[in-house]
Amino acid sequence: MGAPGFGHNAPLDSQRTEGAKRVSWIVGVDVGGTFTDFYAVRSGDGEIRVAKRPSTRENPGRAVIEGLEELAAAGVPLGGVQRLAHGTTVATNAIIQRRGGRVVLLTTAGFRDLLEIGRQIRPHMYDLYRDQPPPLVPRERRLEVEERITSGGRVVRPLGDAAVAEAVARLAEIDADACAVCLLFAFQNPDHESRLGAAIRAARPDLRVSLSSEVQPEFREFERCSTTVLNAWLQPVMDEYMASLEAGLAERVPNARIGINQSNGGLMSPARARALPVRTALSGPAAGVVGAIDAGGRSGPRDLITLDMGGTSADVSLVRDLRADVALERAVAGLPIRLPSIDVQTVGAGGGSIAWFDRDGLLKVGPESAGADPGPACYGRGGTSPTVTDANLLLGRLSGRGLLGGRMTLDRDRAARAFAGIAGELGYQVERAAHGTIGVVVANMVRAIRTISVERGHDPRDFTLVAFGGAGPLHARDVAAALGIRELLVPEVPGIVCAQGLVIADLKEDFVLGRRVELRPDTAGELAAAMAELVQRARTWFEEEVIPEADREVEIDFDARYVGQNFELRVPVASGPPAALDGRPAPDAVAAIKARFFEVHDVAYGYHNPDDPVEVVNVRLTAFGRTRRGAAEGRARGAPEPPAPVEVRPVWFDPHAPDDTPVFDRSRLRSGVEIAGPAIMEQLDATTVVHPGDLARVDAHSNLAITLGGA
Amino acid sequence: MTVTVPSTPPTPSAPSAPSAPSARAPSAGFELDAVGLEILSNALRSITDECFFALMKSAYSTNIKERRDHSASIMDVRGRLVAQSEQSLPLHIASMSGLMESVLAKFGNDLHDGDLFVANDPYVAGGTHLPDVNLALPVFSGGTLVGFVCNIAHHADIGGMAPGSMAGGMTEIFQEGLRIPVVRLFRRGELQQDLLDLLLLNVRVPHERRGDYFAQIAACRLGARRLLELVEMRGAGTVMRGFDLMMERAERRLRDAVATIPDGAYEFEDRLDSDGTDHFDLPIRVRIEVAGERIRFDFTGTSEQVPGNMNTTVNATHASACYALKALLDPDIPNSQGVLDVAEVSAPAGTIVNAVFPASVAARANTCQRIVDVIFGALAKALSDRVPAAANGANTTAVFAGTNPDTGVPYVYLETLGGGMGARPDRDGKDAVQVHMTNTSNLPVEAIEMEYPLLVEEYGLVPDSGGAGRRRGGLGLRRVVRPLGHDCTFNGLGERFRHEPWGLAGGGTGARGRFAILGDNGAERTLGDKSGDIPIRSDERVVIETPGAGGLGPPAKRGAADLDADRRSGKFSAEYLARHYP
Repeated sequence: MGAPGFGHNAPLDSQRTEGAKRVSWIVGVDVGGTFTDFYAVRSGDGEIRVAKRPSTRENPGRAVIEGLEELAAAGVPLGGVQRLAHGTTVATNAIIQRRGGRVVLLTTAGFRDLLEIGRQIRPHMYDLYRDQPPPLVPRERRLEVEERITSGGRVVRPLGDAAVAEAVARLAEIDADACAVCLLFAFQNPDHESRLGAAIRAARPDLRVSLSSEVQPEFREFERCSTTVLNAWLQPVMDEYMASLEAGLAERVPNARIGINQSNGGLMSPARARALPVRTALSGPAAGVVGAIDAGGRSGPRDLITLDMGGTSADVSLVRDLRADVALERAVAGLPIRLPSIDVQTVGAGGGSIAWFDRDGLLKVGPESAGADPGPACYGRGGTSPTVTDANLLLGRLSGRGLLGGRMTLDRDRAARAFAGIAGELGYQVERAAHGTIGVVVANMVRAIRTISVERGHDPRDFTLVAFGGAGPLHARDVAAALGIRELLVPEVPGIVCAQGLVIADLKEDFVLGRRVELRPDTAGELAAAMAELVQRARTWFEEEVIPEADREVEIDFDARYVGQNFELRVPVASGPPAALDGRPAPDAVAAIKARFFEVHDVAYGYHNPDDPVEVVNVRLTAFGRTRRGAAEGRARGAPEPPAPVEVRPVWFDPHAPDDTPVFDRSRLRSGVEIAGPAIMEQLDATTVVHPGDLARVDAHSNLAITLGGA
Repeated sequence: MTVTVPSTPPTPSAPSAPSAPSARAPSAGFELDAVGLEILSNALRSITDECFFALMKSAYSTNIKERRDHSASIMDVRGRLVAQSEQSLPLHIASMSGLMESVLAKFGNDLHDGDLFVANDPYVAGGTHLPDVNLALPVFSGGTLVGFVCNIAHHADIGGMAPGSMAGGMTEIFQEGLRIPVVRLFRRGELQQDLLDLLLLNVRVPHERRGDYFAQIAACRLGARRLLELVEMRGAGTVMRGFDLMMERAERRLRDAVATIPDGAYEFEDRLDSDGTDHFDLPIRVRIEVAGERIRFDFTGTSEQVPGNMNTTVNATHASACYALKALLDPDIPNSQGVLDVAEVSAPAGTIVNAVFPASVAARANTCQRIVDVIFGALAKALSDRVPAAANGANTTAVFAGTNPDTGVPYVYLETLGGGMGARPDRDGKDAVQVHMTNTSNLPVEAIEMEYPLLVEEYGLVPDSGGAGRRRGGLGLRRVVRPLGHDCTFNGLGERFRHEPWGLAGGGTGARGRFAILGDNGAERTLGDKSGDIPIRSDERVVIETPGAGGLGPPAKRGAADLDADRRSGKFSAEYLARHYP
């Protein structure tokens, strides 16, 4: 490895002043299920190149290399690429397909079944046949170690040398390529785990080792164990992938520092990615949120709801003041992962989602999807199920020509045949049945957005909806209307927002200390000590990653709750350059932190009680190595001219009758142009629908801003 | 199980919808067709789920915040169940209806905007046991009642003889806690402080219970706000017509499923271990009559009610029948009055499945588990493709109480433990999981030890506890707990400690559960299935082993790969395998 730290890029900004001699590029590469997307931006003038390659599932790195060559052909000198940020779904796919390493799990004596028991609940109350997924480590590879630590990190039963030796000896008898260690209370006292880890690493250098106190030292043993096991289980997979990828990149982009995207929306070095692959497991949707933040931030709005709708599902998230909400625990394929991640809700609503009648006769859409193969009926690849894409075609919202520049046309007759059954059942024309289908899929997305906004105390009407992904801009207006949102933003290239996000992602690391401390003036010292310890750890990390002082930033939060409650709320405590944070909070700061907790409790639950005691459960620090995108101010593209429609076609906004609607080629719309709905904007990778009464405007950053009822 | 209709039912009048944000808002042209009803039902589920999570996250009682023993629902003006939060425990489906029946009977002509009703009593307020505190908030739009927003939450204590209000050994309801008939906690928006003071004076740790009440009140108000937003968008008349149509469609859907059960009469009998006093081997008997789209559960022949707290009110029995129907016929059907109306229950008054005043009822969840077992047992032949063998059949409860030696503060720690799940026709039963009427989470070991002066020494599976068969039954759970530096008391409540979980179609029985005390000197003493308060010294440990579950199909037909996994995993001993799979 030995790749130098990402922070070496900071001088990029100064390079700009040296003139055009050393033009440098930043490239974002996002590997998705169907396509691998590329977004390259030239520092200095913000010039952009994009590319799209079919993903190569058996060897995802191949599409990465092919795309880089395509970028080179489009005028990006690969030798001038200074930074390459990469989002990969290798870990996510491995989990979904359950193809990982052979792991041995070491636990405290008496607790080897912990991983299998989990929380002793079944995933569905009434379904006798829906089970939790089987554990990733079968019982015969779960070994117990004689030792015990209890609350406060107190050792009840010391870990003897003999026990260590025995564990190492038993490990030697098992065919495995990774080892996870999760002992009780290791989040408070990592000593036993560290000693076991050191002994195993010494005896079995071939074995990858994951310790729970290193992967995520937080309380609640099952979730910590599950996260640690997943990490160990993913290590062989990620190792193999990174090895081949890095070789390819070293050849094509020799001067680029590589960053790997994490679930928290930040980047890490390839070495960290190999050590902590579980951090990439939820990274797919995270990059899209960061890309939407980039688009929103440049265009103006700072409070955003993001809607990323693709072929099989839609991801939604909430952004306040250009910062994404963070979730501390999520699951992939039923396996819990306890790690900070961008809080994305996924709902089975995509272009391929299939419409069907439930047993009570109500119309449902999804989560079953026709996927890319055979795909919607209108693709003519053998699909016969009525899908959301078919509905959009029937309503004239999608063109029968397919996407602009696309090789595939869409067959309206096949779509009509697919919808004949539903229309007959409803007693409607196919267009009205299609209209109802869109209504139901929109309701599914609305519900997901309510979960992340209304249910957390935020009024969606105060937010701008940023719609992207192939299908997002088709449905965003209906979603916005149902939520009372008036402003929509469709980024310049909606199909590659994830790759766009990678270009601006920061280098990022999360630290946590499990400290259960009541929030009182006399405990301020204890909390300050915890903060100081975390700041020190962040310093070490900044040094390791070679991040220049000016780009260093940290944020400190407490997970706090009323004594007796069970769910913690995240309370912001301090942020800024690490040097400014030593020694805080002062005793008088405790009152301010408590007041902030009351505010957060009010927002979340609608009330607070000023007299009840509050306790801190975790102290968290997020460290950022800020990256700079380079100058990318609005590009002058000439004065707005009245655009000529490509065609005029009937589009059903109303379920009963179509409106004649002009269709525009979005790439020919200049900044400053305003178009009143009804209108359709078509581009290479997406179609945007502007409803009657709405006003669309191309802003200085080539994003499309739509105001509902603004015409 | 019909609900009393108020003598002058409020007539729904549709106020005109307020103007929408733009000319073509989704309300325009909104019709209650297959599309509109789906969108409306989606919105209602969203409301009940939001209330459910808000209540869970802000409450103090372990039963709510960790074990999710709570629910939220929307009822119509006639007290019928329109929608319920998806994760609600099955028992709650009927108690909400019971509450509404009482509210309407008592206050049907005297409902006002800003009223909020509270109740818990099984005999005069439709509850199922006293710790479940039920709230109902009538929702008015333009002076017209449009429905009720309700929730149920299991408080950690409701007073009575013993901390936690769930202990055995009590023989009448008065000993189990404070009985609350349907009364107003808020009158026209005004908190009835006198009443709240009275409620709180009668419970342990009143400031936490106050937090629970306020979490429930906030969740009710949240639901009301959301329901009103929906009414404003769609119109009251449309929403209320939608309620009717949703309930009708759910009923039709379930009746169609019932019609797929071959007509006939199906019978089964099983036994509860004991009532915790001196009554043992209590029969629960069911005769299920299926005729076309009707199904009737007749519990004639079931044991008379008992002094111990294993009695259930008929509402809880009805909820158990609804669970069984849903689980066997249509797990995804949303809970609604339509489901309740399909399951016709007939149970003689004065039996343990239709207890009358003043029977004690705190441990009714165990009896409900056995009611599900007998319904499954009866239908096993008719629905042999899906009925599983008997599961652990219990809601195994362990309570540790004492005084923390470091702080001098008393503590009560309650846990309910899962066990084996019955073998299924296409696969083995799951090990160590909550089944049927309960789905409550465990408390993390690290949370227990941070909270209480206890050391959990073991937490794992019980080898050999799953019944043998072509498909084997699930294993029970074993937990060993020691008090640290002090003496405490243990109170355990188990079922299937005497009567094993049965197998089906030639499958073997699962292992029974047990409680024991293990001294550091190696001496082991077995306790009863309803142990009562047992003193535990710090040089002793409590051993809890929950029951396994029954197998399905002849063991001789078990596949070689499955047997190999049984052996390799150590879930079954060599002796066991040799004995059952010779």
